[in-house]
Amino acid sequence: MTRIKRDSIAYVLIIVFCIVMLGWGIPANTPDYPGYGAPSDLVPNVSVSVMLFMACLSLFYTAIAIYLKKHIPSAEREFPEDLKDGGGFTQVGRINLFHLGAIMLPCVLLLPAIEYLGYIPASIAFLMALQYVIGCRNWVQSIVVSLALTATLYVVMRYGFGVPVPGPQLF
Amino acid sequence: MEMIIAGLLDSISPASLMFLILGVSIGVLIGAIPGINGPMAIALFIPITYYMTPLTAIGFLVGLNKGAFFGGAVSAVLLRTPGTPEAAATSWDGYPLTQQGKGEKALRMALYSSVAGDFISTVVLIVIAAPLAAVALFMGPSEIFALISLALTVIAGIGTSSISRGLMAAGLGILFGLIGTEPVTALPRLTFDIYQLGSGLSLIPVAIGLLAFSEIILQLERFTGKNSGQHTAIEFSSKPEDRLLSIKEFFSNIRTLLRGSLIGIGVGAMPGLGAPVASFMSYDQAMKRSKNKQDFGKGSLEGIGASESANSSVVAASLIPLFVLGIPGNLAAAMLMGAFMIHGMQPGPLLFKENAQLMYGIYGSLVLASLFLLLVGRFGLRLFCKAVNIPAMILYPIVIFTCIMGAYLGKSSMFDVGVMLIFGFIGYFMRKFDYSYVAFLIGFILAPEWERALQQVVIISEHNTYMFFQRPVAMILMALTLFVIARTFWTSINSSRRKRMEAAAAAAGEHKAD
Repeated sequence: MTRIKRDSIAYVLIIVFCIVMLGWGIPANTPDYPGYGAPSDLVPNVSVSVMLFMACLSLFYTAIAIYLKKHIPSAEREFPEDLKDGGGFTQVGRINLFHLGAIMLPCVLLLPAIEYLGYIPASIAFLMALQYVIGCRNWVQSIVVSLALTATLYVVMRYGFGVPVPGPQLF
Repeated sequence: MEMIIAGLLDSISPASLMFLILGVSIGVLIGAIPGINGPMAIALFIPITYYMTPLTAIGFLVGLNKGAFFGGAVSAVLLRTPGTPEAAATSWDGYPLTQQGKGEKALRMALYSSVAGDFISTVVLIVIAAPLAAVALFMGPSEIFALISLALTVIAGIGTSSISRGLMAAGLGILFGLIGTEPVTALPRLTFDIYQLGSGLSLIPVAIGLLAFSEIILQLERFTGKNSGQHTAIEFSSKPEDRLLSIKEFFSNIRTLLRGSLIGIGVGAMPGLGAPVASFMSYDQAMKRSKNKQDFGKGSLEGIGASESANSSVVAASLIPLFVLGIPGNLAAAMLMGAFMIHGMQPGPLLFKENAQLMYGIYGSLVLASLFLLLVGRFGLRLFCKAVNIPAMILYPIVIFTCIMGAYLGKSSMFDVGVMLIFGFIGYFMRKFDYSYVAFLIGFILAPEWERALQQVVIISEHNTYMFFQRPVAMILMALTLFVIARTFWTSINSSRRKRMEAAAAAAGEHKAD
């Protein structure tokens, strides 16, 4: 998929989001107008309308450029990783869904795990899984880092700030 | 006068001093690690400040930010890996010096230049912020509404190549910022029957997710499976002339440092520009005016001084719009604004009236932070150099776990951890698709204040829509907002047209060559 196609899909998704928000999300989730002041849906409607207008404008602009077969600058057409200069400091680029999923999955699983197993076992398992995903195959290092980090944050939170760690308490 | 003395005495209390030194030290250490910058560090450490007094908390975060700005120069000089764009110009001359074995000398120049720029900027902030705030006190809700509108428009251009995408990001930030209790009816709004959203989204998980977590996911994408993250050992020459910076060498660049500081102050005081602009502008001016133009890019101390003095002077200068108008000029200022709000204060002109003692305490902490930066940098330089070699395998899990626990710490709620992960996910896509997360975050922070001002205008004016036209300052600010939008679009269309013509010419050239 080219960058310009991906950006166009993003604009379409934003337009759909804005229409859903304007048609249902905002009206169904804002209080009724009390009769004074500005209506509570005014600012949300304005902000979503600005998004909708900008997304439509960008999509229209891109469509016209493609239709008229104008030369779209390479910085807008291609991904920075394909450009000769690499695009400078930009973080724009292709989405690596596998990588994103690999990092997000242990983080998402940590939420229920910490509630049911408790902070210490869930955190140790999470950190070991995370290090494995990152590429660490040294088990000794992985265990030492997991134990040290879990214990340090436990002590800092429990005794430094007096905040109970999430899940069942150990001490 | 009593307030000033009491504030300054507060700033030298043992707890304030300890956390200030800690903030500067952690800031330099974190800044030295490639990829971790000041705003990210502030986002990670804001949860800890819940448990501090307001002065200690702000002092700690300001110290952290100042330290991180200098810390960025360490990796730029030693590895030619600027963790942040503002350190890029420093690497152009710093790294060649490292290759010559003069890395320590380059770092000393960077340190002294940073301290000089930071100190000058802090003095300017102290001198002008309070008088300007006194003038700003005459602003009513119409002016505040118009000013925030202008700020959001200007800020929409930060961190993206497209103003339209910036405005979309700001719009989304405002939408998320409005979740919670509606100010007039006191009823829940946009909560979608999720009771945890009743009090709105907390800044901490949103900021940690957008700034830190999404950044780490991106960095891991580049890192995973490619290398071990270990850098080569850095060798410093043992000759004193290669290690130390003489007084003569420092003072021969004093004009450059002063110029850089003034550029940094000017750029920092204007919302939306930021440290990279200051750094590149100062470097460019230094090169144009230097007697030794040929040395630039090959290891010129003047080049390092120009870049570092300018980017460090942005730190205090960016607090001018925050203290005077309650408008954050850049990401770090936005995070500091969040810290003020967490401690029950609304940055802006009223801060000087309602919390005068605290403000003088913050002034004291700002000056002391410059001094501590000098001391910490001077005596811990070699230690901080080792930070650039922390293996990524160890560093990234620490940062990710700190993000998770930091999000939890604010309200002791796992719901906030979920919010942080969602915003990390959103932040990843925003960065990949070139939507400004800076505009999003500033929109998120300013949304409640913007709406409050609008509600006040509507209620005071009794639904008179011409209220803005009756207030000259508000009218000027609204006209400026429209002008900024029109000008940005015009520039964007022109630039796009020019690039398109260039692309067409290049394509025609290639066709001919074939």
